[in-house]
Amino acid sequence: MPSRRRTLLKVIILGDSGVGKTSLMNQYVNKKFSNQYKATIGADFLTKEVQFEDRLFTLQIWDTAGQERFQSLGVAFYRGADCCVLVYDVNSMKSFENLNNWREEFLIQASPSDPENFPFVVLGNKVDVDGGNSRVVSEKKARAWCASKGNIPYFETSAKEGTNVEEAFQCIAKNALKSGEEEEIYLPDTIDVAASSQQRTGGCEC
Amino acid sequence: MLEFDLHDLSDDADYADSMQQGSESMTRSGNSNRNSSSEQVGAEIVYFKDNVAIHPTQHAWERIRGRLKLIKQGGSLSMTWIPYEGQSSSARLSEKDKSLYTIRAVPFSDIRSICRHTPTLGWQYAIVVLSSGLAFPPFYFYNGGLKEFLATIKQYVFLVRSAEDANIFLVNDLQDPLQRTLSSLELPGAVSVANSPTSSIAPSKSSFSRTDGEALDKNSAVIQQNGRQRQKHNDPRHLSIQVLEKFSLVTRFARETKSQFLREAQGDGFISNAMKKHDKKTNNYSSVVESNDVHKPLEDVHVPANSSEESSCEKHNKNEEAAMRDENLEYDYDKLSLVWGKPRQPPLGSEEWSTFLDSEGRIVDSQALRKRIFYGGVEKGLRKEVWRFLLGYHSYDSTYSEREYLASIRKSEYETIKNQWKSITKEQAKRFTKFRERKALIEKDVVRTDRSIAFYDGDDNSNVKCLRDILLTYSFYNFDLGYCQGMSDLLSPILYVMGDESQSFWCFVALMERLGPNFNRDQNGVHSQLFALSKLVELLDNPLHNYFQQKDCLNYFFCFRWVLIQFKREFDFEKTMRLWEVLWTHYLSEHLHLYVCVAILRRHRSKIIGEEMDFDTLLKFINELSGHINLDATLREAEALCICAGENGEACIPPGTPPSLPFEITSMYNQQDDDDIL
Repeated sequence: MPSRRRTLLKVIILGDSGVGKTSLMNQYVNKKFSNQYKATIGADFLTKEVQFEDRLFTLQIWDTAGQERFQSLGVAFYRGADCCVLVYDVNSMKSFENLNNWREEFLIQASPSDPENFPFVVLGNKVDVDGGNSRVVSEKKARAWCASKGNIPYFETSAKEGTNVEEAFQCIAKNALKSGEEEEIYLPDTIDVAASSQQRTGGCEC
Repeated sequence: MLEFDLHDLSDDADYADSMQQGSESMTRSGNSNRNSSSEQVGAEIVYFKDNVAIHPTQHAWERIRGRLKLIKQGGSLSMTWIPYEGQSSSARLSEKDKSLYTIRAVPFSDIRSICRHTPTLGWQYAIVVLSSGLAFPPFYFYNGGLKEFLATIKQYVFLVRSAEDANIFLVNDLQDPLQRTLSSLELPGAVSVANSPTSSIAPSKSSFSRTDGEALDKNSAVIQQNGRQRQKHNDPRHLSIQVLEKFSLVTRFARETKSQFLREAQGDGFISNAMKKHDKKTNNYSSVVESNDVHKPLEDVHVPANSSEESSCEKHNKNEEAAMRDENLEYDYDKLSLVWGKPRQPPLGSEEWSTFLDSEGRIVDSQALRKRIFYGGVEKGLRKEVWRFLLGYHSYDSTYSEREYLASIRKSEYETIKNQWKSITKEQAKRFTKFRERKALIEKDVVRTDRSIAFYDGDDNSNVKCLRDILLTYSFYNFDLGYCQGMSDLLSPILYVMGDESQSFWCFVALMERLGPNFNRDQNGVHSQLFALSKLVELLDNPLHNYFQQKDCLNYFFCFRWVLIQFKREFDFEKTMRLWEVLWTHYLSEHLHLYVCVAILRRHRSKIIGEEMDFDTLLKFINELSGHINLDATLREAEALCICAGENGEACIPPGTPPSLPFEITSMYNQQDDDDIL
């Protein structure tokens, strides 16, 4: 248990049904895209080893069902999360408008120790669709919302093309790590003094 | 969609009324109440209501009436429900029975949500769901007072209503931020300290033990410091176990039968001793065990055909259970289940099928038919005909001509409902958000449902459109329930088999009569099945149950997908259809799927325990079993477990648990949009 905090980073992906949560996760972990993903029932996760400086971490990425009716499961799945990724589809205004609800619901269910500073990352997915012609949420609008919620890092991605996915998850991992380290303050017997805090200045587009 | 209303109660006239009533009734008997609970130092009863009942079964004489209270102590609010003593109307219930359901003091920090049901006919009731995901049985407010109950809670804890479902109130106890902070860090001592105000009203029975000895020590140190006892009960993990215990008819059963059984067994190889009751039919069981011949034995024992066999089977089950309760004997029990399980038969073919029909097309012996299908399934080409009976679209005693007539009526009924959404113009749709959202959700899902099957393959596939049309029509047929993810998974094989749109629709409707609660907004259908599953594992695989308990996995969320869509994602398309037709026979039990869950879990028990899987690892492991489960072997094991468990198994499953038909259809999907309450 003591070493868990330092090596396992738990990330939850939330967002409306069909915005591409499963695809993003698979693109990042397996470098694959499929048109044949099924709607996620319940929850699942994939893991990926990531390295920061000299240390190796396991990023545990949780993919959840997008229909809000399944949120009663959140209590069990969100527990212990280090970072939450909010995904919307740039071609769907509704999915963007719902980001706030997902964020609030996450904070209620996961009840992190420091909700004000809990790390979120927002991804505007499907930028490839129709060459961008069907887009309805502008980058400006998305960035404004992110700024209003405490400067949430924002990325525009295409899980299909792999655009920006690696960069986004790098940032997600860094933020998860930050969050994990801060929590360690409450666990004096497990804190690793050697753990550098230099990642805090990591280069997300914050 | 996800918006929450924070209701300010102060300007609600109804609320003011109810508060007035509340305080009156409290003054009336407040004194006696306080005297009787004088042990609750510093506790204040802020609400109580008489004649709040629970209905353990659908039998009126088994209803248990009691008093519901809200108690404020220190900064925290708890809820209690104590059944009345010596209640004459329920003379057939022992005091012991009633005490099983007693709820002594549940702090609201352990409560996740309250779901209110206000049916037009019948009593209002509320379901209290705990943070662990478990729920208490519904509380029926015979004398009203549900609104007042919620209003009182609202005064002391943070109560949020989901705008999506006006009947669900999320409890979020923010009274003690320290507790939330500490408990989120999972510090062993933190929970105790934070919860200490409620400790003196906690129940006294404790069976929870942690493997983490150090943590436990810390915990007890805190207890002693505070000079309080029984602190562990406030551990949320312990709470879920308390809850389980309350509903454990099984435990009681085991206690009562064990002593009798032990007398009978007299210490020598009692499994085979117990089995001797069957030997009338099966000759020498022990030799069967020894020879380990899995195919030979017990063909007739599985399915008692008459009542005398049944009673001997029951007796056996009691003994069996006592055996399982005794740790030393688990090995024998394992052996037993391996030996059981009837070999699967070839599927029912059309020639044999015709023997089940009389000259006018009635099914003469539906029990025999269901038994036949239970053991072998149905041949592909015959499914179209047989599924209509299994799903309940046709009744077994209908004739050819009656069915033909019904089909034509149903066809036009379907068209009528379908036209309701077909006729919505673009202009209308612009002003009909709910319709647009449902349609979008359905369209997103049908294009990712079973596309690898040739039937649904390719662009502009007409069957995919048909899936959409049926689901959209269903969401108009049952507007309250609407569409929920997972429904397309359930419909897809039905359309594949039926071909015909209208018939698929009505078969789907029949299936949803049973599985609809799986998709309710509060997910109560799935939760009740997962609860029953936890009880069944406790009964049938105690070591595994203990392991899950130790790992805080008793919510069984890792089986969510299995239960929600009946293993649709766990088997290939053909195997799923085979499994479903077996399940739909409801031959040994309406809940065979839960025994299937137990069978799979048991099969992997040594791996689960050996690799010390925690919740995450377990979920991953279970998800990855998909495509690797041997259906026939699992069905045999499930059958054996179901027979082994007998009535004790059924006692683990609360009445009304899907796929049982609900008894209150009127209020099943009651998702009122009104704003009458808070």
